[in-house]
Amino acid sequence: MSYRERIAWLSLIAMVVAYGSYFSLVAQGPGSWEPLPHLHPLGLFALASILRVLILGGGHLYLRFGFPQEERPPLDERDRTIEHRAISAAYYVLMAGTILVGCFMPFSAGGWTIVNAAIFWIVAAEIVHYSIVVASYRVQAAS
Amino acid sequence: MTQGSISNRIRTLRFMNGEMSQAELGQRIGLTRQTIAAIEAGKYSPSLEAAFRIAQVFKVPLGEVFQWDGEATSSKDGS
Repeated sequence: MSYRERIAWLSLIAMVVAYGSYFSLVAQGPGSWEPLPHLHPLGLFALASILRVLILGGGHLYLRFGFPQEERPPLDERDRTIEHRAISAAYYVLMAGTILVGCFMPFSAGGWTIVNAAIFWIVAAEIVHYSIVVASYRVQAAS
Repeated sequence: MTQGSISNRIRTLRFMNGEMSQAELGQRIGLTRQTIAAIEAGKYSPSLEAAFRIAQVFKVPLGEVFQWDGEATSSKDGS
């Protein structure tokens, strides 16, 4: 597994763990319909973001000291192609989410529900991005 | 429209050039070892520029490195 694939896995895991926890807590909590400002969800979001940073930081340290001899080459054309494909797919997810949240949800929801929906689509776009990167490296990995 | 795939002789050419490693070939043309491995396995088609660079390293024409294994399918108008 290449260094870039490890980084993509790490980023994907950090997103899923941190924001998966956040949304599972938000879904159980009663506060999502309360009007803004309501600081409880904001605190949860801050904790989720801190958790993500900690996972990423710990993961980078592990990769640096766990695999000290591993080459860390600059991006080449295959890396750029994979990144371009992943960003293109994530863009469409983000656009779909933005249209849904910005154009339709104001008629049916409010407060933190809309905020959380916006966060959800950003997280979904990022997860799609890293999933495609990981899948592309897996598919192209020589056996 | 033709259907087919691109095959290559990079493994053979590396062997014929003193068992050149994938990492060394990659270093000489600015690609990673993983990308060379993916090209060699037929899982990634390189850019035209990278293909020419590979051929240049081995000092052979492009057609000796990459081959198009395709069958021409006849169109409905017979052209």
